[in-house]
Amino acid sequence: MTAVFAGNEVRSPEERIGALADPGTVTVQQRSDSALWATANLRGVPSIVFALDHRLQGGAMHAGNCALIVSAYRLAIRDGRPVVGLWHSAGAKLQDGIRSLHAVAQVFHVMTEASGRIPQISVILGPAAGGAAYGPALTDIVIMAPAARMFITGPSIIREVTGEQIDIDSLGGPRAHGETSGVAHVIAESENDALDRAAELVELLGARRSVDTATVADRPFDDALPDRVRRAYDIHPVIDRLLDAAPVELHPGWARSIVTSLGRLGGGTVGVLASNPLRRGGCLDSLSAEKAARFVRMCDSLGVPMVVLVDVPGYLPGVTEEWGGVVRRGAKLLHAFAEASIPRVTLILRKAYGGAYIAMNCRGLGADRVLAWPRAEIAVMGATAAVRLLRRRELAAVSDQERPALEAAFVDEHLANAGDAAAAVELGVVDEIIQPDRTRSAVADALAGLPTARGSHGNIPL
Amino acid sequence: MTPIRAEMVAKVVEVVAAVGQDVLPGDTVLVLESMKMEIPVLAETAGRIDQLTVSEGTTVAEGEVLVVLE
Repeated sequence: MTAVFAGNEVRSPEERIGALADPGTVTVQQRSDSALWATANLRGVPSIVFALDHRLQGGAMHAGNCALIVSAYRLAIRDGRPVVGLWHSAGAKLQDGIRSLHAVAQVFHVMTEASGRIPQISVILGPAAGGAAYGPALTDIVIMAPAARMFITGPSIIREVTGEQIDIDSLGGPRAHGETSGVAHVIAESENDALDRAAELVELLGARRSVDTATVADRPFDDALPDRVRRAYDIHPVIDRLLDAAPVELHPGWARSIVTSLGRLGGGTVGVLASNPLRRGGCLDSLSAEKAARFVRMCDSLGVPMVVLVDVPGYLPGVTEEWGGVVRRGAKLLHAFAEASIPRVTLILRKAYGGAYIAMNCRGLGADRVLAWPRAEIAVMGATAAVRLLRRRELAAVSDQERPALEAAFVDEHLANAGDAAAAVELGVVDEIIQPDRTRSAVADALAGLPTARGSHGNIPL
Repeated sequence: MTPIRAEMVAKVVEVVAAVGQDVLPGDTVLVLESMKMEIPVLAETAGRIDQLTVSEGTTVAEGEVLVVLE
């Protein structure tokens, strides 16, 4: 990705905030030579916006502009308003030594104090190095414009210390953070697109509204699954059909076996967490479990009800996964759901196997309502695999000709006893089997019937 | 040249596209089997298939190049 600004365009912070906010709603509260903050409406939501002025000393952070950011946060916390930070900064000002480090630390402190209490969105519009990278990383959502470059140590120091040769875009550009590191939640097509996406997210998180079931018309879902049970498919069209309109997907290019999106159902904001069978079969793995855990905790702390769509064959096997901490990172997702207070509804589309069934917001972790499509299969493992393990002696005792029929009979018996959706209803781990065409109304009814609640914790960047 | 890589260890069960063929984003180029599932591998960009480095029955490692688009 090479796009920077068109020509030599260098917009002032005022121009950037003007492009972000609703026309005529910006009131600058404080302006220094290197930063400003303002109150403004973003899609009708009263918000706080601050911006560093990159035209002076590269927007370096020092005692003056850091104090200004802290003031902006004080008002935002007091009034419960979303904060949008526009970042374009070389990081802590070197010349000021420890004074600038202390000031940057105070910004981190107030951001963490605000975490989980008010929505915080960071838009990276140019280089954001060191402290200017960690500031955004402490917030809920990081949006990168094409010119954004985030890193802690830049290419020249890396070359000096490790000998690695890399340019600044490959190191810390939108692709690196959107696909490899997971630092960025949203990759924008242009600077204005980045600002638009920020306003859209402020509206979703700041004007959540409740689910109005009267506005939710059902849509056909009968063709949502492939005919063959073994066939993988893309979950995105299912999510789009469930919600009122296409949602904002967070982390679309990273840890893709799990999809995390914010959208609306019946006008109310919901967070959708979904397995994506097209990617790694929809398996949970160490990164996707961590991505999911952070999303759940963000939704819980900001009061966004959740819908969890499950079609998961299990955890991804492999030495890389085990050594990559799938135990440690997978535990974050279990913890996130088990502690969550927000209304949360699970819909099992097809498979929910083993430990991954538990991790995807099962009844035992506290799901408020668990729905299942008729073909749903909940089990420790797939029925055929289970039968081959549990009935291996009986299967071995018959001839090769007889074996397939016996295995099929065992599979039917196993499904009836252990795995099918009806058995799950009897056990109370599924509340209701719904016809796919009733999905929208069933999920909306379930959410509308639950009391609003939110967790009282911060959103640590897991 | 845009490589399409395997996202997980898998067996190639079907090669759908052929060298020289033009594909669009979303087109299935081949099908992998893993975790007892058949997982289609889709083109994410438009292009012409320049190289097909695997055939049916090949076992591929995570990150291995399957197809190169030009």
